[in-house]
Amino acid sequence: MQPYLKVENVTKHFHQIVANDNVSFDVMPSEIHCLLGENGAGKSTIAQCIYGFYHPEEGTIYVKGEPVSLTSPAAAIAVGIGMVHQHFVLVESMSVLENIVIGTEAATPILDFKSAEAKIRTICEFYDVDIDLHAKIWQLPVGKQQWVEILKALFLNVRLLIMDEPTAVLTPQESKRLFQIFHEMTSDGMSIILISHKMDEVMQSDRVTVLRRGKNVGTVTTADTSKSELTNMMVGREVELHVKRDAHEHGGELLKIKGLRAKNDFGTEKLSSIDITVHRGEIVGIAGVAGNGQGELFETLMGVRKATAGSVILDGEDITNSSPSNVQKQGMGYIPDDRFSAGLVGDFDVQSNLILGAHREAPFARGGFLNFSKIKEFAGKAIDEFEIKTPSETTISRTLSGGNAQKVIVAREFAQASKVLLANQPSRGLDVAVIEYMHERILEKRRAEFGVLMASEELEELLSLCDRVLVMFKGRIMGDFPTEGAEIETIGLLMAGQDVAPKQPEPV
Amino acid sequence: MALTVEKRLTPSKKWMVLSIFIALGASAIVSAILLKFTGADVGMAYAALFDGAFGDTRAIGKTLIKATPIILTGIAVTVAFRAKIWNIGAEGQLFAGALASYWAYLLLGPGAGVYILPLIFLAGFIGGGLYGGLAGFLRSRFRINEVLTTVMLNYVIIFFMSFMLVSGPWRDPSSHFAQTPRIDKSVWLPKIMDGSKLHIGFLIAVVCAIAVYVMLTRSSLGYEIRAVGHNPRASKFKGINVGKTAILAMCISGGLAGLAGVTEVFGVAYRLKGEISHGYGFTGIIVAVLAVLNPLAVIFVAVFFGAFAVGGVVMQVATGVPSVITSAIEAIILLFFLAAGTLTHFQIVWKDKT
Repeated sequence: MQPYLKVENVTKHFHQIVANDNVSFDVMPSEIHCLLGENGAGKSTIAQCIYGFYHPEEGTIYVKGEPVSLTSPAAAIAVGIGMVHQHFVLVESMSVLENIVIGTEAATPILDFKSAEAKIRTICEFYDVDIDLHAKIWQLPVGKQQWVEILKALFLNVRLLIMDEPTAVLTPQESKRLFQIFHEMTSDGMSIILISHKMDEVMQSDRVTVLRRGKNVGTVTTADTSKSELTNMMVGREVELHVKRDAHEHGGELLKIKGLRAKNDFGTEKLSSIDITVHRGEIVGIAGVAGNGQGELFETLMGVRKATAGSVILDGEDITNSSPSNVQKQGMGYIPDDRFSAGLVGDFDVQSNLILGAHREAPFARGGFLNFSKIKEFAGKAIDEFEIKTPSETTISRTLSGGNAQKVIVAREFAQASKVLLANQPSRGLDVAVIEYMHERILEKRRAEFGVLMASEELEELLSLCDRVLVMFKGRIMGDFPTEGAEIETIGLLMAGQDVAPKQPEPV
Repeated sequence: MALTVEKRLTPSKKWMVLSIFIALGASAIVSAILLKFTGADVGMAYAALFDGAFGDTRAIGKTLIKATPIILTGIAVTVAFRAKIWNIGAEGQLFAGALASYWAYLLLGPGAGVYILPLIFLAGFIGGGLYGGLAGFLRSRFRINEVLTTVMLNYVIIFFMSFMLVSGPWRDPSSHFAQTPRIDKSVWLPKIMDGSKLHIGFLIAVVCAIAVYVMLTRSSLGYEIRAVGHNPRASKFKGINVGKTAILAMCISGGLAGLAGVTEVFGVAYRLKGEISHGYGFTGIIVAVLAVLNPLAVIFVAVFFGAFAVGGVVMQVATGVPSVITSAIEAIILLFFLAAGTLTHFQIVWKDKT
């Protein structure tokens, strides 16, 4: 059988950096083909080359045996290739229908919504998808928004769909449904290129092409391989997927959150009476799909967002609605989810970012002036200790990779915090090696009697690292489980907002 | 093969220097064509331009006198822009400083002598600083766009001054012009160069530029101003009071612009009148941007602008080119400099088309 898509010896540089070096693979009709690799391995770059967004310097891309020149996404769509980006490209204030029709040939000067709507309804019926075509995008949950993206591609009759990290924003249930639909598509003869980090998803594909540092490591048939073999191919060395969590008795109450309420920037209540207690030497995890109030919770704790009700007690000290600088003085550190927006000053060099927050304190400042020799000394130590890969301490932070940027934040917060560490999606977008490293560091803090409160969408991460897992949905804590014996299925249902009876008994 | 433009990973230092010469050369050529059209002798025009600006001690003095307020407004704008606060009100803050320093002069007594000059400068700094700080406060407290407030406050202060000078108490009753009486000679800014009128204000401006440079790069306050400018969200998370820092940056910015008002009143005009500023507050914006918000570079760009203003007049007289030609040449240089600036951030490469 002839492959639908064949990528041959594609090379793409960005300045001196090789993003893709002689990458070759092919995708058969009816195949789910997974692209696997660490961050910066070149998965997205090759996908963007296939989608006509980047233009490779060398190599050829064949569609149904014919070499094609993919000079733009429009050219890619013309040969039946579509892509759903990790970050959706939707007009929030427009309806589902308008978003699908926009930019297509159906968008003639006088829009023909009628026939477009009929066509979309047929597609929806075929895949048994229930979506209100006249709802505005902002009214839809992310899972449905993703559907709009997929419908956009299907509406254009694509036969090969590139999905870039499709389940990053979905609950386990939604992910499961998505894969069902993938299989329906492939049984209809379509092909799917799946870009993913998550091993469980990778294992549902037909074949896997592993990339490492822009190069092909190889293509394997999924049925003939295993998670650990794929991980080895991906990182080039044995990595233990689970950090060993030693037994550790927790101490007294350290952080006590009671009845906390807060609104988002638009005045909608995002935290509805949150109660959480974190003890000394305890790691508490918050499971939940991002956007269910985790960000608002951490912002409120850090004093960046105003609490409308409730209280926050840190080691006996009332820090409710205290200023961020006071909260940090009381010993609380925060690793935010959006590194370059809330965590770092991208245009500052690495050493300046490492002292952010401590820039008015000794030894980094004296008499209102910065002490650069002390700053440099500290930065050098932090770079060594946290294995931050950077040309020098004066490198501009924005040029660092996601993992190294995260290490800068971790190094800083670990140095500044003295009692409690907060972390929001600390492993998002990071590769296995960095995640593992970070987990070890967090466990070290646990041994040092820190209290840790972290939110993550990765249940496996929480279950392997935390002593206790809470589930957060629409600004409420839906459940509280000790990690031992917690069931992924139950937590998953709670993450989706379904009440499970009987309710788990409250631990300690 | 085709030419394509690519963004550099890091700004090139080499091209930063080269771009200055490229811009100068290109503007000289284009300006020459323009001068040729007016029938002027191009060589003579350029010679007159240079001679007028740097020909002798007197010319150099004139150039530096002209550069003085531009240095001050240039660094004023630099401080605000580093915090990403778009202060378009240096002109108004200059007048606020001029008014405050003149008021201080009246309060301290006209005959007090040169010893009161530090207080006069302080008054100018405070006057401009409060006026700039007002826009900063409105921005931080009520989220009012500072571009609008600073522009509008320019009008407010200029009309207020007109009131004081036309029908108000400060008008010189013996003059037909809207201006105050002349300031007592004992409080004029001391001259610092023989054979020219260059006053100590120039040195003060240079010292201020160096101080601003040190403040921005080496002090905790400068660190906060830059952090807030680059990423207010991360700054807030790390305990920096973003609103307070913005107000402080606007106070410093306005204060520096206010000093420009002092140098013009006490070093050039010797009285308060509407003509003490030839749009120096606005020139300061151009100068700050051309100097890529580096306070030390502001000194050189300001001197260049001063030279052009002074030399341009001489060129006009010597060759008889219309006065608008000097403005046109100034604009040509500006455009070429801004265009050449992209060379530091982008590179042009030959590329195979695939």
